[in-house]
Amino acid sequence: MTWVAWGCLAAAAGSLPLFTANTYYLYVAASVGLLTIVTSGLNVLVGFTGQMSLGHAGFYAIGAYAAAVLTTRVGWSGWAAILVAILVAALVGAGVAGAALRVTGPYLAMVTIAFGIIVEGILVEWVSVTGGPGGIFNIPKPSLHAFYWVIMGGAAVSLWLVANLRRSAWGRAFLAVKGSDVAAESLGLSAYYVRIMAFTVSAGFAGAAGGLFALLNGYVSPDSFTLQTSILFLLALLFGGEGRVAGPVAGSIALTLLPEFLTSLADFRLILYGGLLMCSIYWLPTGVVGALTRRGDSDRDRDGDSDSDSDRDGNRDRDGDRDSGGAAPLLQVERASLAFGGVAALSEVTLAVPARGIQAVIGPNGAGKTTLLNALSGFYVPDSGGIRLREVPVAGRPPYAIARLGVARTFQTAQVFGDLSVAENVAVGVAGPRLGSVVAALVGAPWTRAAEARLRRRALALLAEAGLTEWVERPADALPAGLRRRLEIVRALARKPRLLLLDEPAAGLAPAEIAELDAYLARLRDTGGPAVVLVEHHMDLVMAVSDHITVLDYGRVIASGTPEAVRTNPAVIEAYLGVSE
Amino acid sequence: MIVQLLVTGIALGSMYGLVALGYHITWVTSRTMNFSQGHAVMAGAVVAFAFYVGLGWPLWAAVLATLVILAALGIGLERVAVRPFFRVASPAWLLSTIACGIIAENVAMLTFGKDARAFPSVLTQKPILVGGAGFYAQELLIPVVGLLLMGGVQLFYHRTGYGKQLKAVAYNPEAAGLMGIHIPRAVMCAYGLSALLAGIAGVLLAPVLNVAATMGTIIGLKAFAVAIIGGLNSAPGIMVAGLGYGLVESFVAGYLSTGAREIIGFALVILVLVVRPWGLLGSRPARRV
Repeated sequence: MTWVAWGCLAAAAGSLPLFTANTYYLYVAASVGLLTIVTSGLNVLVGFTGQMSLGHAGFYAIGAYAAAVLTTRVGWSGWAAILVAILVAALVGAGVAGAALRVTGPYLAMVTIAFGIIVEGILVEWVSVTGGPGGIFNIPKPSLHAFYWVIMGGAAVSLWLVANLRRSAWGRAFLAVKGSDVAAESLGLSAYYVRIMAFTVSAGFAGAAGGLFALLNGYVSPDSFTLQTSILFLLALLFGGEGRVAGPVAGSIALTLLPEFLTSLADFRLILYGGLLMCSIYWLPTGVVGALTRRGDSDRDRDGDSDSDSDRDGNRDRDGDRDSGGAAPLLQVERASLAFGGVAALSEVTLAVPARGIQAVIGPNGAGKTTLLNALSGFYVPDSGGIRLREVPVAGRPPYAIARLGVARTFQTAQVFGDLSVAENVAVGVAGPRLGSVVAALVGAPWTRAAEARLRRRALALLAEAGLTEWVERPADALPAGLRRRLEIVRALARKPRLLLLDEPAAGLAPAEIAELDAYLARLRDTGGPAVVLVEHHMDLVMAVSDHITVLDYGRVIASGTPEAVRTNPAVIEAYLGVSE
Repeated sequence: MIVQLLVTGIALGSMYGLVALGYHITWVTSRTMNFSQGHAVMAGAVVAFAFYVGLGWPLWAAVLATLVILAALGIGLERVAVRPFFRVASPAWLLSTIACGIIAENVAMLTFGKDARAFPSVLTQKPILVGGAGFYAQELLIPVVGLLLMGGVQLFYHRTGYGKQLKAVAYNPEAAGLMGIHIPRAVMCAYGLSALLAGIAGVLLAPVLNVAATMGTIIGLKAFAVAIIGGLNSAPGIMVAGLGYGLVESFVAGYLSTGAREIIGFALVILVLVVRPWGLLGSRPARRV
């Protein structure tokens, strides 16, 4: 079905020059191609990574002017000029991203808008290079017929590159950061770095399209690169369907052809664009392509993999260098304190986690248990005191850095990557920060594909072990709550962590599911799994599986010891039941 | 020259601040904003022009009618473009308000026309001369009204009961909701007030700048820059940033060129954000884990 649609599209694009010699039609079709290239790249940023840019006309402009200057002033060939256009745009993109992506939401929108306006201003002011408001005119123009093929080829290649990228570790990292940047960081991914890469890739695509635009028209001027252009790019992407490889094609066709059909309504152009934007936001949240393919998705659910058991032993090859119990604790918390606006969430907490076994942290609501986990995994930085992991001080390091030292965690409300399938969720954990080269991912290099196959086999093996085989191809959003928690644990274990932090894994589970969790944790401990810090309210579970229990109340450690000792500790009984003398 | 640049800078800067306060007001109550706030400025100028020049109403009546219409537009915008996406973790509100803005611009083009027109005012008929520097009385009126309004908004938030309720919503919407504050109405009021401020800016600016359907975009962007520089959740930061931005812009235009004005102004925004990512006086939103 999908292949038929792609085939028809290719046939239409290929046969157009055979049916018409009318240069106008060819030019309009070439414009569709250009817009497809830009929006394919923008799709990586907006659709995959969930970031917004209102300044991509700036990268389009940089590509166009780079190509224009190189072909006119330096006398380079068009091909070389376009290659440089891509590189320059990507480079500037990386720089802008470095500044822009420290912030989110409206702040990010502002930086991208400001970038676009600055580029536009420079194009007008820097007359000696850009030709000022008049632009650059005498660009050597290839024949439209020949260049039509170049642009259509470029559009096809763009779609192919983005499709490859989506299937790679990078593609999953983008969608993971979009789904939950907190969870992505807990798996060792730096959300900042991943977003910068998405921004850079999208800027490169815009640069390529800009270079082609300059050669197609034979002239460039600042009018083509305004804020409206940036909005148009975004509109085409959203209308077509963000996050879907085919979305940019549909959006580009619609947004290029509609104004051409409605030339008599030129005065209503902005109303048309605004109306389209409103329509797509209201009624087509997943775009035209999303609306058309919604049925198709459910058909694909069944073709789960059959060789999922073949690699059952693959996950036993744990690192040989694990500490074998002995002397130094795996994790040492020393007098860690943390206050939120005068309220002490943790005060002078001292805790040692040995390299094996399950350490439970319990306490009444608001005792600081989750705060402690957040401090251990780097999401909070203690105001004072230290946290050492295998003797290395880690307090103050970002979450992804701590994750890379072998700490994995789950969250109080399970944070699965909703846009990814269950298998892909686990694959994000298996790959961790090892994403490989983004260029290799784009072109689908053979070694990338081989690594992909390995990742997938391992993810499927882990899922099979956890009894999730029938769900592997379903989007993680479709999982019931109990299985989401299980998926989160599998994903965390896929990192082969030394230390696993579980934040209320039994919350909201049915009694039968809690019993399964109980057995799962016990098996994990008995088969040489990682050390576990378990924050939990279900006392039966805690008492059954824990080797050691630490009790927090108002941010202080009030008791610590074996389950038996804690159970009978008067301070603990008082904290829980409020008994006072 | 310096006096003239100072007057112009403070006049424009106070308007940027006033419009930027509109972004702030809706942001703190709803974590959304009207990205087409600049088009509300344009609407203020165009509607006032229509009543005052077009229909020949007396100035006070024209201004009053304009303000009522603008508040209504703000409330309408909230209904159509914001409420459906309220607190959805998607940028849909951003795009839908942009869409409403460009539709508004086109409507203004069709009704008001494509050309800029002068807005007659007694305060711009004769320039005041101070030692070789010339400026209009209107340029003195603008910052006075602007700063008074900004102060008034602050008083409203800090001193009146309803203002305090809105502040509570800003501080913690869930708790405010539990205390019986009607949050959708608070957001609606915020949007009405926000558009109203933009409308006032439009009326005040109309005699100095010309009235045009396309005037909104750049004013809106500069005001947005001011809101970001000052910190979206800090009203005092925004006022300071507004005046600062107006002055920098005026002096760059005076001593360098009008072309450099935009480049330097927006480069400044990026610079500030690199140094202080959440604005000069803004604070980082708490990270939820």
